[in-house]
Amino acid sequence: MPDVPQNGGYMVAAYVVVAVILVGYTLSLYLRARRSLRA
Amino acid sequence: MRMLRAGRWITAIALVLLAGVYVRALGYTPVERSQGLAQKIFYLHVPAAIWAEMAMIFVGLASIFYLFLKDPRLDRFAEASAETGTIFAAIVLTTGPIWGKPIWGTWWSWDARLTLTLFLFLLYVGYLLLRGAVTDPAMRARYAAVLGICGMVLVPFVHLSVYLFRTLHPMPIVLKPSAPSLPASMLLTWLLSLGVFTLLYVGFVVQRYALSYLREQLEAVGEGELGHA
Repeated sequence: MPDVPQNGGYMVAAYVVVAVILVGYTLSLYLRARRSLRA
Repeated sequence: MRMLRAGRWITAIALVLLAGVYVRALGYTPVERSQGLAQKIFYLHVPAAIWAEMAMIFVGLASIFYLFLKDPRLDRFAEASAETGTIFAAIVLTTGPIWGKPIWGTWWSWDARLTLTLFLFLLYVGYLLLRGAVTDPAMRARYAAVLGICGMVLVPFVHLSVYLFRTLHPMPIVLKPSAPSLPASMLLTWLLSLGVFTLLYVGFVVQRYALSYLREQLEAVGEGELGHA
């Protein structure tokens, strides 16, 4: 049976990138709304 | 304000559920033998791709109705959907190359599916830039609606490009006429992820819609004050 490829680093990188993008956008929406509410 | 709060709650719940999807995908879903752990990128890449395409379809539909009805709510929704679609397209364009490198041996290939997906992302960016560049609200909404309809027309080509052209990108394994070619445990994880991305789309769009409404109210108040001065 062939060995399973060792490429876990790519998986971790992808999961981290997705989390950063989604949390970053959530923060951006929160900050923009807060700025508008204060104005 | 109530809508903004609802959007925040939906997004917060979706992010907590996304953490659950991470745990299930990384810890409790079997490793695919030929691709190894990199295959698990599938659970994020494909739902994001589906919602990047769906968001543009909603932009196009809202735009068509806007051109007939001139209802600002439709324009606001199209803008919210476009911004959210841009985020999902960015996820597709970052996770795709990260998955491609260990499997194909290259980060990028200028084949039909990848190039059309990049084009979809650039259309989203162009749509948002256009909205930022035109100051007159009626003209901005009309121009954006035309571009939004063009974007919607692109979506079937993105999705069917793997059938229409010879491409490095694999054929669909879930969204295809026959049954999904996935073991039940992998399919369940994927479906859970798709559900969470759907919730994220709703949460982001509701928040973004409320933000546009807030800004319009502020602009109206500002214009009113200028009118009185």
